[in-house]
Amino acid sequence: MTHPLEQLRDDALREIDCASDEQTLETARIKFLGKSGSISRWGEEMRTLGKDQKPIVGKLLNEVRNAVTAALESRAASFRSRMESEALGKIDISLPGTTHEIGALHPLTQMWQRSIEIFRRMGFALADGPDIEDEWHCFDALNTPPEHPARNEQDTFYLPDGRLLRTHTSTVQIRTMQAAPPPIRVIAPGAAYRRDELDATHSPQFHQIEGLYVDDNVSVADLKGALEFFMRELFGAETEVQFRPHYFPFTEPSLEIYVKSKALKGGEQWVEVAGSGIVHPGVFEAVNKTRGDNAYDPEKWTGYAFGLGMDRLAMILFDIPDIRLFAQNDLRFLRQFA
Amino acid sequence: MKFSVNWLREFVDLPKNLEEIAELLTRAGVETENIETRSANVEKVIVSQITASSRHPNADRLTVCEVDDGSGTKRQIVCGATNYKVGDKVPLALPGAKLPNGTEIRKSKLRGVESEGMLCSPIELGLGEDASGLLILSPDAKVCAPISDLFPADTILDVEITPNRGDLLSHFGLAREIAALTGKKLKSTPRDAKIPVRKTGVTIISTRECPFFSARKIDNVRVGPSPQWLREKIESVGIRSINNIVDISNFVMLELGQPSHAFDADSLKGGVNVRLARDGEKFLALDGKTYSLKPDNCVVADQERAVGIGGVMGGEETGVTDSTKNILLEAAYFLPASVRKTARELNLPSDASYRFERGVDPEMVLRASQRATELIQEIAGGTPAKEIQTAGKLPANPPDVSLTYEKCDRVVGVAIKPKTVDEILTGFGLMKTSAAKITKWKIPSYRRDLQRDIDLIEEVVRAHGADKIPGTDRSRFTPASIADRAHDLESAWRQRLAAAGLDEVRTSKLLPRERFAFSESAIELRNPLSEDHVALRPSILVGLLGVLDRNIRAGTERVAIFEIGRTFIPPTGKEERHLGILLWGNVASGPNWRSPQNRRLDLFDLKSALECVVPNLSVRPGKFPDLALPVDVFSGDRMIGFGGQLSVPKSTTPGPVFVVEVHADLLLIAEEMANKFREIEKFPAITRDIAMIVPEEVPHEKILRTVQEPREPLLESVELFDLFTEQIGAGRKSLAYRLTYRDRSRTLTNEEVTAAHAKIRERLRRDLRAELRE
Repeated sequence: MTHPLEQLRDDALREIDCASDEQTLETARIKFLGKSGSISRWGEEMRTLGKDQKPIVGKLLNEVRNAVTAALESRAASFRSRMESEALGKIDISLPGTTHEIGALHPLTQMWQRSIEIFRRMGFALADGPDIEDEWHCFDALNTPPEHPARNEQDTFYLPDGRLLRTHTSTVQIRTMQAAPPPIRVIAPGAAYRRDELDATHSPQFHQIEGLYVDDNVSVADLKGALEFFMRELFGAETEVQFRPHYFPFTEPSLEIYVKSKALKGGEQWVEVAGSGIVHPGVFEAVNKTRGDNAYDPEKWTGYAFGLGMDRLAMILFDIPDIRLFAQNDLRFLRQFA
Repeated sequence: MKFSVNWLREFVDLPKNLEEIAELLTRAGVETENIETRSANVEKVIVSQITASSRHPNADRLTVCEVDDGSGTKRQIVCGATNYKVGDKVPLALPGAKLPNGTEIRKSKLRGVESEGMLCSPIELGLGEDASGLLILSPDAKVCAPISDLFPADTILDVEITPNRGDLLSHFGLAREIAALTGKKLKSTPRDAKIPVRKTGVTIISTRECPFFSARKIDNVRVGPSPQWLREKIESVGIRSINNIVDISNFVMLELGQPSHAFDADSLKGGVNVRLARDGEKFLALDGKTYSLKPDNCVVADQERAVGIGGVMGGEETGVTDSTKNILLEAAYFLPASVRKTARELNLPSDASYRFERGVDPEMVLRASQRATELIQEIAGGTPAKEIQTAGKLPANPPDVSLTYEKCDRVVGVAIKPKTVDEILTGFGLMKTSAAKITKWKIPSYRRDLQRDIDLIEEVVRAHGADKIPGTDRSRFTPASIADRAHDLESAWRQRLAAAGLDEVRTSKLLPRERFAFSESAIELRNPLSEDHVALRPSILVGLLGVLDRNIRAGTERVAIFEIGRTFIPPTGKEERHLGILLWGNVASGPNWRSPQNRRLDLFDLKSALECVVPNLSVRPGKFPDLALPVDVFSGDRMIGFGGQLSVPKSTTPGPVFVVEVHADLLLIAEEMANKFREIEKFPAITRDIAMIVPEEVPHEKILRTVQEPREPLLESVELFDLFTEQIGAGRKSLAYRLTYRDRSRTLTNEEVTAAHAKIRERLRRDLRAELRE
């Protein structure tokens, strides 16, 4: 025969199961488990039971109370979860996310940062030099004779006091070697200036990364290895790199660097990206003269140097058709590179 | 420089596939920029002769020509060109002809006048770029002959010659290079006939600028148009035909690289000498312009005046004309540096100066003179003097250069067999004079660029092929420099400012003259090129204001920008790295459904941006004249810049503009202080709020000081969290602060916090007359 407690439990479970909302569920809870609920009352009645009955009924009471409590909680949870899904179901998840303004870095900065990061992994430290230079650092020390066309007022901006705006970042080569003996392994990002009319591909102010590595037995092979690695890191592993002999006064041999890559103009043509070469011994000799020593003995040390045009690299990498866009800073342009 | 492949083939065999030769040259540092075919292979275009010409009755710019096409009946053609005269022979496209540009020629009426064909310019026939007028043919061209007979098919290479390789500025020179690179033999070289010379008749005073000068008299020449072959040869590489004598001089220059010049001998007054110009000496050049010379310009002169600028250009008054009978043919060696200087000073570059600047081959001077004389005799007749008059001495051969194979390997990075090195150098015309461990090489007269071993090594790399040298992976550890730290700091700033919603800009460091706001002066260039780039920026803000203008015009509603870069501080141009920030417009760049209320950016947004990068930021009232609300910017106790709100009368911008500029270098040291760990608080804090009403003029800073001083040991921090002035009466404001109390070593009791808090409240009431709200 069933104990009355068991009967109570079955009634309670049935009622809980039938509760249609939180309100009726609460009514059921009070009815059975409230202070004077029908199950709770059995606690009082325990006292009246005999010694032999007490443990049996006590155990049963516990079981019943647990079962009803669990059923109440589970039913309540299902109500809550129903409510929650009803509420959330109304949310239009296709609404746009909360916006907050994030600025964009200038594409030239991004170009510089990418390049510097690669060169740093290759063990280059940074070096720096002024934009306003003297003729000696810009030309004489770089093995450029006094009558060289580049030195002309037509090509170079001069200040009234005879100083000039550096026409290339190669001046930092000289400043670095004046300040420290070999070995040297540096890159120098910076602006340079030429007396060019502003048009789609020329700007009187442009941007470069200069590189210089002076050590024992630095060779054309080392130069090729370093710049091939750099170009592949920048343009992709499939990039082909070609070194074509050229002429610069401060390197000998001089090599222009061309790349062909799917990332550039569809990979159809060779694109010139840099000038480079083995440091001309005349450059070492000029540095030695001002150092007053023979630290850069051309018979003992050799070096390679290179110059990368950042504007040009950014233009070909980002498909930018006009160099003037860089200095115009139209936000609609800048935001494209955010 | 442009090269005719037909002409090159007179000296060296070239492969059929010209791409191959272009690639070979390019790989050897002689970049072929363009390959173009040249031919006039157009059907139904014939040689015709203009027999009459009259004004078009209905059009000012047109003429009506009558031409002889060889058929016996004259043809009427309407023509727009003006460069012809009656009697000239010109190409005639007959009806039915199809020109290379696609034009089909038909009989038609032009402004009411019948035109039975078209007279053609060079570009219309596919002969180069000239579209300025009709292609005038040589008088020896046969009327009615197909035009293609006159223009043998050719290919024109456009080659970039680097400034160190003047020896390549001629067909013979390039052919010699190709022969060396391909291992082929030259088919012919200019004759080295024993040319009789005599040191007389000409004198050199400026021996430095002109080491050697020669002149040869040729009498009784017939000046006239050049034969078609000569005309086509020079025109195919872009030189205009003038007359047979001038054309021959140009032809020899294109062939051998040595410029020469023919004077009308009868217009010269007395013997020729070479001297420096007198200061301000006037000279009418062949280009029709008068030049004012300087005392370092070298001139060729007769007894009265300058008749030529040495190595640059001859004079108008002594040039060869149709009436010239006797000529004096000049061939000389001018100092490259002197020619370069003169040509630039006078802004008068010429084909001759281009070659002299880069150095001509001394051994070619007299050979070229001889070659020109022979051609003149052949084409224009005349009797040359038996001897060439000369003065001075040709430069000596370049000195020998030493080379060790070991050094070559060291610089190249791979071993190249001595035999290969020898073959390469010999191929380029060098001669080994010593085969000891240190080899010695005799340098040919035309390769003055080969001066030391490294120059020879470059020749080896060029001929061997840079692509055959494998790249090696060679690194070295390098410690970080000051520049590295500066770069890292700058990068961090850029990231933080971008994260704070500001766009980075990069503006020109060269500014127009008038825009020196924010500085009293700026360093100006001595030789600016345009009005837009005159001075070096003394401040970054000028550029930022330009960016603001541009973007407002483009219709933006928010400009929040920054730039980090160099500025040039007058009067010395000291270079300082500055950070500039500009804010204008709305906080949000567009409407947004989460926060439809958009407010305008203000001074506190500017402070907030600065706080991203400036440690211990504070601002104090400043004195800057261009600013309506000027502030000085401090990091700790150090003043690092200025900023504020732009004064409205100075700006046409709608709405307030906020700017700040700080000297970034000053913060480099501060930033290096490393953060150190501090134990995280274990005991809870108790917060109490104070709301108060104070007179409007009491600044936040003063309230803060009153709260903080004298210091309550339990007070950890104070934050302002509310501020308003509405509905509390004029001249008053309401502020609310949250005070946080904590002891790092124990849990606080309510009583001790209440006691501390009461002291602070009392101070506010007493010192500031604050009305505290409960």
